[in-house]
Amino acid sequence: MAHPPSARLAEREPRLAAALRDLGVQVRRGAPPEAPSARCATGIDAVDRLLGGGFPRGGLSEVVGPASSGRTSLAFALLAAATARGELAALVDAADALDPPSAEAAGVDLARLLWVRPPGAREALRSASHLIGARGFAVVVLDFAAGGAREALGARSWLRLRQEAAGTETAVVVLSDARMAEGSADLALALAPAGTRFEGPAHPDALPGAEGALLSALESELWLVRDRRGGPLRCAGARWPQRGAA
Amino acid sequence: MTSRIACLLVPDLPWVALVRAHPELAGRPLAVTAGAGPRADVLACSPEAAGRGVRLPCTAAQARAVCAELVVHSASAALEEAARRALLDAALGASPRAELAPVAAGLRAAEAAVFLDASGLTACFGSEAGFAAALSARALRLGLPAVVAVAGSRAVARIAARRHLPGWLARPPGEAGPVEVVTPGGDSAFLAPLPLELLDPPDALAEACTRFGLRRVGDLLRLPRRALLARLGQGGARLLDVVLGAGQEPPPPAAPEARLEESAELEAPVDRLEPLLFVLQALLSRLTARLECRGLGCAELELGLRLAGGAREVRRVGVAAPTGDVRVLLRLAALALETHPPDAEIEEVRVAADGRPLRGDQLDFFRPAGPAPALLGRTLAELEALCGPGRVGAPVVVDTHRPGAFALAPFAPGAAPPPRRERAAGCADGVRESAPPYVHSLTVRALRPALPAHVETRAGSPVRLASAVARGDVVQCAGPWRTSGGWWSEDERFAFDHYDVVTSDGTAARLRYDLARGAWTVDAIYD
Repeated sequence: MAHPPSARLAEREPRLAAALRDLGVQVRRGAPPEAPSARCATGIDAVDRLLGGGFPRGGLSEVVGPASSGRTSLAFALLAAATARGELAALVDAADALDPPSAEAAGVDLARLLWVRPPGAREALRSASHLIGARGFAVVVLDFAAGGAREALGARSWLRLRQEAAGTETAVVVLSDARMAEGSADLALALAPAGTRFEGPAHPDALPGAEGALLSALESELWLVRDRRGGPLRCAGARWPQRGAA
Repeated sequence: MTSRIACLLVPDLPWVALVRAHPELAGRPLAVTAGAGPRADVLACSPEAAGRGVRLPCTAAQARAVCAELVVHSASAALEEAARRALLDAALGASPRAELAPVAAGLRAAEAAVFLDASGLTACFGSEAGFAAALSARALRLGLPAVVAVAGSRAVARIAARRHLPGWLARPPGEAGPVEVVTPGGDSAFLAPLPLELLDPPDALAEACTRFGLRRVGDLLRLPRRALLARLGQGGARLLDVVLGAGQEPPPPAAPEARLEESAELEAPVDRLEPLLFVLQALLSRLTARLECRGLGCAELELGLRLAGGAREVRRVGVAAPTGDVRVLLRLAALALETHPPDAEIEEVRVAADGRPLRGDQLDFFRPAGPAPALLGRTLAELEALCGPGRVGAPVVVDTHRPGAFALAPFAPGAAPPPRRERAAGCADGVRESAPPYVHSLTVRALRPALPAHVETRAGSPVRLASAVARGDVVQCAGPWRTSGGWWSEDERFAFDHYDVVTSDGTAARLRYDLARGAWTVDAIYD
């Protein structure tokens, strides 16, 4: 049963609100932490709409596409959104392709990103198992986009990984150039390059006589090719322009 | 507060240390000798050997004559020292102030004792008896069956512990040793009925006491101090001081720095990794048990090897976060040995660890819960063991113009600032959380190392590209722009001309022309 606040409390309430306004970010009202949603949003409207809110927590997702299709940009967006929420994220970089300045420019809080550089595909999968077992990483991205891992990992490995992820709050996302987890994946997203734009001024360090403006944008097309939890596919695809920060 | 001292006593350290290192010898009749050969003196024997009639003092040959199935081992100073230190760790797990008693001589040479400050610990353990029982259990977990006694002074506590030694050998194996608590202020009353020899008087003094008919401590207490001093001299007065608790030493000092060490001499030199790992596992198990007893984890592992020919090697193995997981430490040690195998056969192995508190960061109420700090530490250590040193951490942007440069920092997310929040008009509490808007940036995938490329140029610009990642006619191109640096050093000097190109297969790549080597490479893909 709710009790009406006393007259004295009501009198203090505006002063308390004023004090909180004055102190700004130094003081916050206590509230229980919000329960994480069932999906891990990327912060890109077109993608989140397509995925029904983001990549599923406690599930295994695949992002598949050729070079320059936007796989890494999508992964960085996911990592940036997770770290901005104050969550921890991990990148198991089997391709050893992380460019920290690029990740930072994409908004990833590098202090909250654990970068694991396994020497091979098997070690990468075992690293992912350890990270899922640690219970508390919101996102674990496995980067196999350099290829060559498909032969080293059998279907059973992916099934085991999905089982390990099930029941946790971790969204496991695999980047690759071809489907690897196949039937074990809860969600699969296919990307394809849809164009490039060279716009704006030349590079500040461009040599005299250098041609053309900078590469400023990549465009990708996305298709949701599998969604085990979302029922029938909601959308055939979407276009997602990635612009240069400069 | 009345000073209370506990004594943790292991009466037969030589065989206890041996069984601790070789658990397979437990339950067998065992004698530890001062050297090799049948004439070597037996320093200590196990209860099983004593049960079969082996009595000290005797030689190895005499002991074998009594017990044919007797296992005889030479004493190891390294094992005994490690066991002594482990006894101190057991004590430090229960009290912050503890010290090892000096090694005794003569008949008590096989004894190891630790004194610890037991004042004020009843709040933690319920009672002094509870504290003594917990201490005994901790020692047993480290493979050290010990007697525990609590009294008002070191001497009385040690005497109270020694009082249980006659029944020591008859105790069932694997059972914690007996405990004795002397009532506070009751040291004299406790000692009165005990034989005077328990005070360890010098031989001449013991003889004089016998001559005067003084057999029990109570006989001594009944005599006036002045008369005792006149007849037995300063030695007699010192005995009385021990009994009365006068002139007590200061309480045991605070815990020393946590550097723990275990070592093993191999029966035969080893040149393969597998048998060595077997020995290392046993050493690390003992080491981590000691660390766990003190609530610590291993922050850095030192691996010492004595090689055939007398050479010594020391390797330091970094651990990403303090851990007490034997599997992780063993994997790290194996990795270090595999990477740089020793030059000769190994005769002795030593492992040492700097004990550091396990991670116990305070979680932030306003953040989503991350992994438990201890679990995160273990995970980091496991990942480093799996991937190799220097391959796990938080990425760091390096202050350099060199393309592809990066560094790794220890992963410590607790140090990060809280999520950004902004004011919002009309919000009930005036402040609300919001994620920063996503900045769409052109993302680069680094290629390490950069891939060689065959590039055809026209008027200095690339028109055709062939490489492992991109191939075809260049349909769009921007550049070049120059990146150079490290001009002050011959080794670090670099100068590159970069081009952004899109090939006919749709790949957007960053081309690099090395001005020093005159070679084309693809060093990144836009993705």
